[in-house]
Amino acid sequence: MSEMTQQRGRADPAVVGETLVEVKGLKKYYGGQGVLADPPVKAVDGVDFTIQRGETLGLVGESGCGKTTLGRTLVQLETATEGSVEFDGTDITELTGKQLKQWRRNAQIVFQDPESSLNDRMTIGEIVREPLDVHEVGSPRDRRDKVKDLLASVGLQPEHYYRYPHQFSGGQRQRIGIARALALEPEFVVLDEPVSALDTSVQAKILNLLEDLQEEYDLTYLFIAHDLAAVRHICDRVAVMYLGKIMEIGLTEELYTDPANPYTHSLLSAIPEPDPTVEKERITLPGTPPSPRDPPEGCQFTTRCPAKIRPETHEQLDAETWNAIERFREVIRERSRIDLSIRNRIRRRVGRFSKYDDIDETVADLFDGTGVSEEVMAHVEQAADHVKDGYPNRAREYMGEEFDSVCDTTRPDLYTVSPTNRLSYCHRHTDEYESVDSVLGRQSDGE
Amino acid sequence: MCATLTDTARDRERQDETTLRERIAANPEPAIAWSLVAVALIGLEFGAFIAGLLLVVDSAVIAVTALIEVTVGLVSPSASESIVGIQQAASGTLDGFRSTANSLPTLLSRETIPNQGYKTGPNGPWENTFLGLEPAVAWAIRAALVYAYAAFVSFWAFRGWKIFRANYRQSDWTPRDDVIDRLDGHRWAQFGIIVVLIFTTMALFAPALGPTTVEQNIQSPYSHELQYFDAEDGEVRTALVGDANFNSKSKGNGEQNVGPMTYDDFGRFHPFGTLTNGRDLFTFAVMGARISLTVSALSMAIAGLIAIVMSLASAYYKGIVDLAAILSADGITSIPQLLLLLMVAMAFQGHWLSDVFNGGFLLALVFGFTGWPGLWRAVRGPALQVSEEEWIDAARSFGQRPSVTMRKHMLPYVLPYLLIYGSMAVGGIIIALSALSFIGSGLGINPPTPAWGRAISMGREYVSTQSWHIALIPGVLIVVLVTGLNAFGDGIRDAIDPESEGGAEEEAAAGGTAG
Repeated sequence: MSEMTQQRGRADPAVVGETLVEVKGLKKYYGGQGVLADPPVKAVDGVDFTIQRGETLGLVGESGCGKTTLGRTLVQLETATEGSVEFDGTDITELTGKQLKQWRRNAQIVFQDPESSLNDRMTIGEIVREPLDVHEVGSPRDRRDKVKDLLASVGLQPEHYYRYPHQFSGGQRQRIGIARALALEPEFVVLDEPVSALDTSVQAKILNLLEDLQEEYDLTYLFIAHDLAAVRHICDRVAVMYLGKIMEIGLTEELYTDPANPYTHSLLSAIPEPDPTVEKERITLPGTPPSPRDPPEGCQFTTRCPAKIRPETHEQLDAETWNAIERFREVIRERSRIDLSIRNRIRRRVGRFSKYDDIDETVADLFDGTGVSEEVMAHVEQAADHVKDGYPNRAREYMGEEFDSVCDTTRPDLYTVSPTNRLSYCHRHTDEYESVDSVLGRQSDGE
Repeated sequence: MCATLTDTARDRERQDETTLRERIAANPEPAIAWSLVAVALIGLEFGAFIAGLLLVVDSAVIAVTALIEVTVGLVSPSASESIVGIQQAASGTLDGFRSTANSLPTLLSRETIPNQGYKTGPNGPWENTFLGLEPAVAWAIRAALVYAYAAFVSFWAFRGWKIFRANYRQSDWTPRDDVIDRLDGHRWAQFGIIVVLIFTTMALFAPALGPTTVEQNIQSPYSHELQYFDAEDGEVRTALVGDANFNSKSKGNGEQNVGPMTYDDFGRFHPFGTLTNGRDLFTFAVMGARISLTVSALSMAIAGLIAIVMSLASAYYKGIVDLAAILSADGITSIPQLLLLLMVAMAFQGHWLSDVFNGGFLLALVFGFTGWPGLWRAVRGPALQVSEEEWIDAARSFGQRPSVTMRKHMLPYVLPYLLIYGSMAVGGIIIALSALSFIGSGLGINPPTPAWGRAISMGREYVSTQSWHIALIPGVLIVVLVTGLNAFGDGIRDAIDPESEGGAEEEAAAGGTAG
C-alpha cells in the first residue's frame, strides 16, 4: 500500500503541506440542558487534529464512537458545543446567515445511505443541480452543462439527467450523491461511510472513483469508515476514535504496521487475515464500551484496555483475576446508572432492599475457582455488600479507591510517538510506565 | 423500472433540456389535435366557463377584503367601513361582468334545451319545450348531456396528461406514473373517483341540471308566473309559481303527494318529487350539493393549509416549534365545536359575513379553524419521518433555505397523506353541515337556500308514508358521497403506498416465484 501512496506522487502531508482544517477542543454533547435533564451524551468529547490540504484523513472506530457526529460537525450540520473548527483560518462554528451559506460551498458531505440521501421525487438532474441553483452559479444553461459534466465525471450518462433515483442501483445512487457533493467545487469533502451500504464489488469501484476525483478536483477528504482495509487503501493519515476521543492519529502505513495505542492494537488485530497459515495474535476486547452519558473519568478506554496500568498494590495479580475485577466493576457501573423506583428507595431506607441480591451470582460467576487471593475477595465482597444494600455508587467508589490507577483518574495527553508526528492518547507513552508493546507482547507470550 | 444503459434515440434526443414550447414545436401534431378538441369543449360552455371564473374571482375579492376589513376594524371602525364600500363596488362590477358572461349562449343551458312548458290540449302537444318534447324527456336529455360533457372533459384532461407523458415529458418514467398505474385496476378507488366526479359535476352544473331554478321555484316563487293546461277548464291558464307550489305539496296522504319521476297538476316534472312545501326536490338537492361541496371544500382548504404549514414547520424545526404546534392544536381541540358554532352564529347575527354563501362562509371558517388539528396530527407523523431523511441534511449542507427545503423535499411526501385524510375528513364536514341544517334554528345554511340537512329534517315525519322520498333521497346522496370520498381516500393511499394493502399477496407471489 505504501507503494500506492508513492505512485500518487503526493508529498508527505504530515511533513509538508498547509493546514486546511484545524479542529481544536471540539465537543458535541446532545441533551443535558435544563435542571432535571439526564447528563448529556458526549458524542464528541474534546477532539484536536488538523487536516492538510489535499490529503485524505481516515476516521475509524466502532459504531457509536462519534465519528459520524464529528464529520457532521465539520460541515456544520451539527452545532459544536465547545471548541473551534478553523477552515483556512476562519472559525466556522461562529459563522451564521449569509457567511455560513457562502462557506458551505467549500465543504460538502457524501452520506452513508444512498437510499435515503436522494429525494425520490426529483430527477437526477434536479438533484445534482440544486446546489448550483441555491448558489446561483452561472446561467441556467451553464448549470445544466455543468451537471452533465459532473454526471460524466462520476461515471454516469448524460441522459440519466431525466431519470429518477428509483431507476438506479445503490452504487449508481452513491455516484449521484458524490456528483451532488462536488457540484459546488468544494475544497473539503466529508465522506461518511460512503461505501458501507454497498456490495463489495461496487465498493472498490466507488473508492477508485473517489481517488480519481480527488486528483481531478484537488479535494481534501475526511473519510469516515469502519472498514479498516478500505481506509488503508485510500487514506494518507488515519485517526482512530473511541468514545468521542481520538486515540491515535498518524500516517496510515505506519499506524497499521506499528500501532502505538492499545486500542489501535486491538482494532487492527480484528482485521481478518486471508492467509490461514499465518498465526495472528488476536486481542479480544472484553465487555462493551461504557455509555457516552457516563464516560470514565480518566482515559475513555480504561474499562476495556488490554494494557491498562495497574495500581502498584495490585501489580502482581494474574491477568485472569484482573480481568474478573474489571468485569465486576463494569457490572457495578451499569447498576449505578439505573434509577430506583420510589418503592425501592423506601425499602433501601428501611434496610429491606433485595433487588440487587443477584450480584452474588455475578461474583460467583466471575471469581469462583480462579484462585483469587483472599485480600482481593474481601474487597469484592465488601463492594457486593454495598450493591446489595442498594448503593452501587458506594461500591463503585469503594472499588475505585482500591483498584484505581492513573488510567482511571487522569485523562492522558496526546503523546508524540514517532518522528512523523504520530500522536497517541495513552499514559504508557511516558517514561514512568512500561511501554504498550512490551505489555501486550508479554501478555501474548504468557498465553 | 430498471435503468437501461442502452443509448436509445429517444434518450439522445432528451440529452438537451428544452422548454415545453420547444418540444411542442418540434412535434406539434398530438398537441394540436388535443388542443383543438379542448378548445371546442371550452367553446361549448364558454359563457358558463367565464362566469364561473368570475364567480371565483368575486369570492376571492370578498374573502380578501373581508379579512382586511376585520383586521382594520380592530383599529379603526371608520376605515373598515370604507373597505366595505370598496368591497361592494368591486363585487358589483364583477357581478355586471358575470351577467354579461351568463347571457352568452351555451350548449348545456336551460335556454338551449328548455323543459318548462305547457300542454296546449289534453293530449299535448307541448309548447315551449325542447323540440316540443315532454318536459321529462327534455330534462332527461339536458341532464344526460351535462353528464356526457363532464365525462368527456374528464377523459380528455386525462388523455391530455397521457399525450404529454408520451410525447413531451422529458423523463420517460416518474414515480407518479406508478401511482396512476396502480389506480388502473383498483375498482374501489375508481368507484370513489366516479362518485366524486358525479357530485362535482352536480355542484358545477347545478343551475342547468334542475328542472327549474332556485330563484324561480325556491327563492321568490311569488314573483314568477307559469302557464299550465287546466284539465278541468280545458284551457291554458297562468298561475304564480308560489300558488302552484302550494298545490303540489308532498304531505304523505293520498291527495297531497308528488313522488319521484312524476308530474304535478301544473305540468311540471319532478325527478325527485316535491318537498313538503311543494318545491322541487331535485333542484333543491343539486343546489344543496353545490353549497355542501363548496363549504366543505373551503373548510378543508383552510384546515389543510394550516395543517400542512404547521406539520412541515413542526418536523423541520422540531423542539420548541413542535411544542407550540402541539399546544395550539390541543387548545383548539379542547373547544367544543358545537358550542363555538352557536357562539359564532350568535355573534355574527346580522353581520354581512354571515350572508356570504348564505352563512356557508362563516361555517367554513369555523370548520377550517377548528378542523386543522385533526389533519395536522395525521400528517405530522409522515412529515417527521421525511424530515429524518438524509436528503434534508444534504439540502442543509449546501445552504438551501428552510422554506424551499420544506417545499421541495418534504411537501411532496406529505401532500398525499393530506389528500387521503382530507378526503376522508371532508365526509365528516358534509355530515356535520347537514346535521347543522337539520337542527336549523340559526345554525347551518340560512333558509331558504337549499341544504340537504333541511330536506331531511322536513321529510322526517313522512318517512313511513308515501312521501318517503323527501328524507330518503337527500340521505342517500349524503351516504353515497361520503362513501365515495372514503373510497377515493382509500384508493389514493393504496396507490401511493403499495405496501399498505395487498402487501401480503405480493409477498406470497414473490415467494411463489422464488419457490
